Amino acid sequence: MTHLSKGALVAVAASLLAGTAMAQETFVINSFGGAYEEAHRRLVIEPFEQMYNVEVEVVTAYSADALAQLRAQAENPQFDVIHFSGGQEVTAAAEGLLAPIMPDQLSNYDQLYPFAVEGLEQGQGPVYSVAVLGLLSDGEAAPTSWDDLFSASNGEDVAIADITNTYGLLTLLMLNQVRGGTLDDIQPGLDAVTELLDNGAQILSSSPEFQQAFAQEATSLEAYAQDYAYTLQQAGLPIDFVQPAEGSPGIYITANVVAGRPNEELARAFVDMSISAAAQAGWAEALRYSPTNSTVELPVDLAGQVVYGDEAAANLVRFDPVVVNAQRSDWTDAWNRAIAQ
Amino acid sequence: MPHPLRRAERGAGAFGESVLLIGPGAALLIGAFLFPVGQILVLSIVPPEEGLSIWANFARFFEDDYYLRVAWRTFRLSVIITLVTAMIGFPLAYVVARSPRIVGYTLLLLTVLPLMTSVVVRTFGWIIALGRGGPVADLLSLTGLGARDATLLHTETGIVIAMVQVLLPFMTLTTLGVISTIHPHLEEASRTMGAGFYRTLRHVVLPLSVPGLVSGSLLVFALSISSFVTPNLVGGVRLPVMAGAIYQQATSTLDWNFAAAQSTLLLAAVLGLLIPYLALTRRRHG
Repeated sequence: MTHLSKGALVAVAASLLAGTAMAQETFVINSFGGAYEEAHRRLVIEPFEQMYNVEVEVVTAYSADALAQLRAQAENPQFDVIHFSGGQEVTAAAEGLLAPIMPDQLSNYDQLYPFAVEGLEQGQGPVYSVAVLGLLSDGEAAPTSWDDLFSASNGEDVAIADITNTYGLLTLLMLNQVRGGTLDDIQPGLDAVTELLDNGAQILSSSPEFQQAFAQEATSLEAYAQDYAYTLQQAGLPIDFVQPAEGSPGIYITANVVAGRPNEELARAFVDMSISAAAQAGWAEALRYSPTNSTVELPVDLAGQVVYGDEAAANLVRFDPVVVNAQRSDWTDAWNRAIAQ
Repeated sequence: MPHPLRRAERGAGAFGESVLLIGPGAALLIGAFLFPVGQILVLSIVPPEEGLSIWANFARFFEDDYYLRVAWRTFRLSVIITLVTAMIGFPLAYVVARSPRIVGYTLLLLTVLPLMTSVVVRTFGWIIALGRGGPVADLLSLTGLGARDATLLHTETGIVIAMVQVLLPFMTLTTLGVISTIHPHLEEASRTMGAGFYRTLRHVVLPLSVPGLVSGSLLVFALSISSFVTPNLVGGVRLPVMAGAIYQQATSTLDWNFAAAQSTLLLAAVLGLLIPYLALTRRRHG
């Protein structure tokens, strides 16, 4: 009986505690699911919850979905911090969906590379990670150039991402650049994609599909992300990442404060923690993302696997997010028509 | 002589009870269905540029070969999926209805089991099963039906296979409901008169099952014409269907008015089938 009443007391106490926790305002952010979200929780979310005694609710939403949700909720925003990986912060800031951040509101501001804070003046959040697009190979093919996608011995072994996936858009733009196109004329890029499809290449939409294709030996060469190569290695697949000779586009992941929420100050603290040297070293270690904080120091073996440092970051190709976002709809439409069977 | 006042009182009470009973359902229907659908209807007639007609979004759809092909694929696949589920679902429902209880329940459980799995998990199973290097592809190349690298992933056949698995329970359960009301004596009578098993099935059971088959088909058709996850993952991006195109316009190209117009057309296609059906069944029963 005493055991029972003790148990009941504990239960009551627990429910009271839970009650107070419920009373706290929840702090809502988006993350990108899977291993990314796991690392996100460990590196930023959990330390943040402890430091500021808040409960963070994580909604899994990729960039395009996240922007659509922000727009739909414009009158009554439901996110405090929103993360984008496809340059959506340009659109979101232009539409007034984001709250601008001042340099003196971020304690880690001075440590960031200039490219990481370029967007602050336009009301966008800082870049806290860069993922690199390149070629993933199963070791048999040893690609060195984007042209190797076209000369693969079996065209059906090649996979690229769909344009709705940020990596697919960058693949199109990179192939376009290699084939002599510009952001004003992406026809060479579309022709290159059509050529790949005629060779038998596949177009996949989501990361798990890329993993599944390698695992079933349905592909041996994929144009995809550096960090995902590491995810595949962790899953036991013998995958190498190659940064092609022509250079490769970087995917700039930003942390943004959503406008019209009651706790903007807390949201800025979250962004500040995201760009800290400790969190960024953690990202590089956990997922092979390149840091944007110049004070990050990586162990030698890690530094070899991550685009790292001033010079390396400067070698990345960056397509103007303003043009990319303005053209994105038209390109998506042109892409859909080019690939539909 | 019944008291007129009392009868009126009883009527009012019954009315109040009906309102009470229908209230939660009606509130849900209005809040979660009629209101958003109304918003979509409004969005769909907002022209992309000022000065254009309210039909501009619809005109864009019908004038564009690309969208017409997407619509045709959606419609064609839905018809095929409906036919295949009917062809599998009817005999299955008959066997379930006429088997010993334990066998029937087991079959029913096996049919309904796919509904217990998340659609994404189930679809990923199909991606692995149908893809290159998967068991179905291996079987095809072993039997010489397909090339070494045969794959049903990213094909319309793959979409049909995966969709039939998901939708089969709807067809089977609806048809089963009708078949179980057909008295076995009717079949016995037919057999005693000299008709064989298949003749009895064809001329006695099948005609009596038509109401179940029709409502099952409507359900399957409506679900498959609007399905999104399975066609998108199994069919891939090169075989777009309407629901996928709408999703992309809503989330990627952010063309909400055009997406709303396509949603309206999809809704009209389903209603265009449902309303004649409801009218017909009402006449038959009333």
